[in-house]
Amino acid sequence: MSVTEYDVIIIGAGVAGLTAGAWLSGQGLKVALVTAGEPTACLSTGCIDVCATDDDPLQGIAHLPHEHPFHLVPAGTIRQALDDFQQIMAAMNMPYTGGLENNRRVLSAIGTFKTTCLTPVTMQASPQNENETIHIITFAGLKDFYPGYIISRFKNASFSTYDAGASTTMGIAANFEDDAFLEAFILWLENQHVREDKIAVPAVLGLESAAAIIKQIEYRLERPVFEIPTIPPSMPGRRLFNGLKDHFRRKGGMIYWGWSVVGVEKTGRQIEAVMAESQGRPNSLNARAFILATGSFVGGGLEAKRDTIMEKVFHLPVFMPGEREAWFDQDYFSMNHGIGRAGIAVDSSFRPVGCPWDNIFVCGAILAHTEALKNGCGHGFAIATGQAAAKSCLEHLP
Amino acid sequence: MKYEHCIRCTICVENCPVFRVNPAFPGPKQAGPDAQRFRSNREKSADEWVLLCSQCKRCEMACPCGVEPAQIILRAQQKYGLEHPHSAAHLLFANNYYLSTLGSLTAPLANRFAATKIGKKIFQHMGIATYIPFPKFSFKTLRGTMKSRSRETRKVAFFYGCFINFYRPDIGRKIIRMLQSFKIDVVLPPQWCCGLPALGNGNLALARSFAGKNVASLSNYVDAGYDIVYTCTSCGLCLLHDYQGIMEIPGAKKIAENSYDLHEYVLKLIAEGELKPQFREVNRTLAYHIPCHLRALEIGYPAANLMQLIPGLTCRILDDNCCGLNGSYGFKKVNEVTALQLGGRAVSLIKKTGAEAIVADCGSCRMQLAGLSGMDAFDPAEILCESLGIKDKK
Ligand SMILES: Cc1cc2nc3c(=O)[nH]c(=O)nc-3n(C[C@H](O)[C@H](O)[C@H](O)COP(=O)(O)OP(=O)(O)OC[C@H]3O[C@@H](n4cnc5c(N)ncnc54)[C@H](O)[C@@H]3O)c2cc1C
Ligand code: SF4
Ligand code: SF4
Ligand code: SF4
Repeated sequence: MSVTEYDVIIIGAGVAGLTAGAWLSGQGLKVALVTAGEPTACLSTGCIDVCATDDDPLQGIAHLPHEHPFHLVPAGTIRQALDDFQQIMAAMNMPYTGGLENNRRVLSAIGTFKTTCLTPVTMQASPQNENETIHIITFAGLKDFYPGYIISRFKNASFSTYDAGASTTMGIAANFEDDAFLEAFILWLENQHVREDKIAVPAVLGLESAAAIIKQIEYRLERPVFEIPTIPPSMPGRRLFNGLKDHFRRKGGMIYWGWSVVGVEKTGRQIEAVMAESQGRPNSLNARAFILATGSFVGGGLEAKRDTIMEKVFHLPVFMPGEREAWFDQDYFSMNHGIGRAGIAVDSSFRPVGCPWDNIFVCGAILAHTEALKNGCGHGFAIATGQAAAKSCLEHLP
Repeated sequence: MKYEHCIRCTICVENCPVFRVNPAFPGPKQAGPDAQRFRSNREKSADEWVLLCSQCKRCEMACPCGVEPAQIILRAQQKYGLEHPHSAAHLLFANNYYLSTLGSLTAPLANRFAATKIGKKIFQHMGIATYIPFPKFSFKTLRGTMKSRSRETRKVAFFYGCFINFYRPDIGRKIIRMLQSFKIDVVLPPQWCCGLPALGNGNLALARSFAGKNVASLSNYVDAGYDIVYTCTSCGLCLLHDYQGIMEIPGAKKIAENSYDLHEYVLKLIAEGELKPQFREVNRTLAYHIPCHLRALEIGYPAANLMQLIPGLTCRILDDNCCGLNGSYGFKKVNEVTALQLGGRAVSLIKKTGAEAIVADCGSCRMQLAGLSGMDAFDPAEILCESLGIKDKK
């Protein structure tokens, strides 16, 4: 009976790592996930971008450059992984709407539309164009949310301000979890005599109960209500992270926080263990296989030095878009910064190309040529590659 | 203390329990890396709000960039403490074991506890010096035990911590019986409060004096081949991190290298094949509230790994919420509302799991959660003992 040895260790608590971990736990394997900190999902809108270059996400994927790692995931796996995701989130009381047939739009806090594939149910009623009539609620003292941006772009929009007794997204969201607070809010809203067809609220409608809260407001106000994602701190992003994290745990997975991997133990062609910094004895965990899901630069998986890019855990060979001059485009806001292509190149088994070890699998934003921003392939890509890498890992488990 | 590494992502802010409910606290990003850019050793600190940070360390566990907001704030708290006269509450909590002073406060929370059996005991301990021998327990002397055991026997020096010492010696006795049932030799070395309450109340000097005494005492045991085992996760964090870190105690590294959380230790012995405990069925559904400082120890949740081995036991892990009490923090008048709100939220999530009882490694978490929920709250060691058939013989 071994209690500290795992079948698989996942490195990174992002959407990719949590998806891979939960899938492997579901296959009956003993899985641990170690992470330095919280993932980019917490900064995101919570919407699942699969591929935003075409109205049809699958068409969009088909037209990605041939070296794009999305081509390594069979279409069946993409579909299965996203179906599984929707089931998981529904079970966590945070259902997602939409499907792989077509992309949809979500209204952003600056009044523009974001193209995405699956949206949290709280954004289901998000308008699809500027002609829809909406009434925006904002909260007294809430920074970084200005209805004016949206009103200036919409033909028919107005707003009113509620004093929630808190002025941060987290604080207001926590208040909404309280039934009495919600009831007072609804009564106030009823008194606003809203004439517009839909009601928009910045994404602060609760933490774990957001779906139920929005339903309640819709029922009482007799019209669709939707959330507008805010800049970080982003509640829908956190709900996504919490949902995937709880699901992983319910499948039996273990999470180790504050576990920034700084070293590895290896014999021959196998990685035996990963090690974390510690104040006392070295912390180490053994496993038969490892899944690297440490994300790109923001997530912390890649680090740019003066003239090289490093993968921080295993020091795997990193694909680099030429010399440093080629890393950045002239225009800061360009989608074509070469550095977006940097990452780990993998073969069809999601194992790194040119890697001296056989039991490492890679998924998520750390993969080379992903260009998440440019191609609009964020969480959807992480979910698909997470499941694909997990499947390959199971197949090749030493 | 790498404030330059901050990318201002606000992930720490989302994780800060105090920021969520107390508008007077600007949150880890502002109080930590942001303010640090403007702090100077030559200027007197005027930001009293640094004291509102409960040192739960959640910000540090969440930060993707290795910035240590809590550590930055802790240092600012010590500086503030040095430069300003201590308030009565801070002096009280720092100088005396924090829970034994509970009854002297008029906080409703305190009164609620004071009405309980534990509370009454707390009154009895008012004004008693910080170090009190473990009740009804005979201390084995170092020399005595060394003579009586062979070299191969595992020897443990048990750092039981104040909570067990004052309020739940029964749990302490069970832990000792459990370790003995594993054929481990257990001694209770001379020990003082770990110093965390003093540190938390901005009294670094007092904290260092406790720490220095503990290091001197425990060090002898390490030299004699003992492993140090702690059970209070806050003691553990203090022994491992703060002695070497902010307190700069000489010899602290040796203590850190040889100290184990109780469950981490048992797990290690099982993994190494030294131990094959026969866990018997325990039919319970538990909500495992992860104390902030267990999370901050960065050793995973070893008690959860152990409880997984117990047939019949269902245990739901909850680690997103601070219980709000944070040792002495919640007993201070300025933090009372914060503590109650956070506790209320933690309890409502626990209730949603449908669990029949709470389990938590930290005594003050259990006190807060049991008090607010009316549910039973156990130490994970109590559950292990239940499964192993170990009882507290008075
Ligand atoms: C600001 C922002 C907003 C975004 N918004 C959206 C959106 O709205 N919709 C969308 O679909 N996509 C969005 N994306 C993209 C999306 O978040 C990612 O592409 C996707 O989730 C990939 O996640 P991942 O799991 O690969 O890695 P990440 O989310 O980057 O997670 C990496 C994990 O690895 C951990 N880690 C890193 N190094 C180590 C180490 N050495 N040891 C241990 N752990 C380590 C990190 O702490 C982290 O938990 C956004 C990205 C950013 C940066
Ligand atoms: S301290 Fe860390 S978590 Fe907080 S804003 Fe800075 S980088 Fe983000
Ligand atoms: S230690 Fe806790 S209370 Fe203090 S800033 Fe960090 S998260 Fe907030
Ligand atoms: S942390 Fe442990 S030793 Fe320190 S005061 Fe609390 S219970 Fe006592």
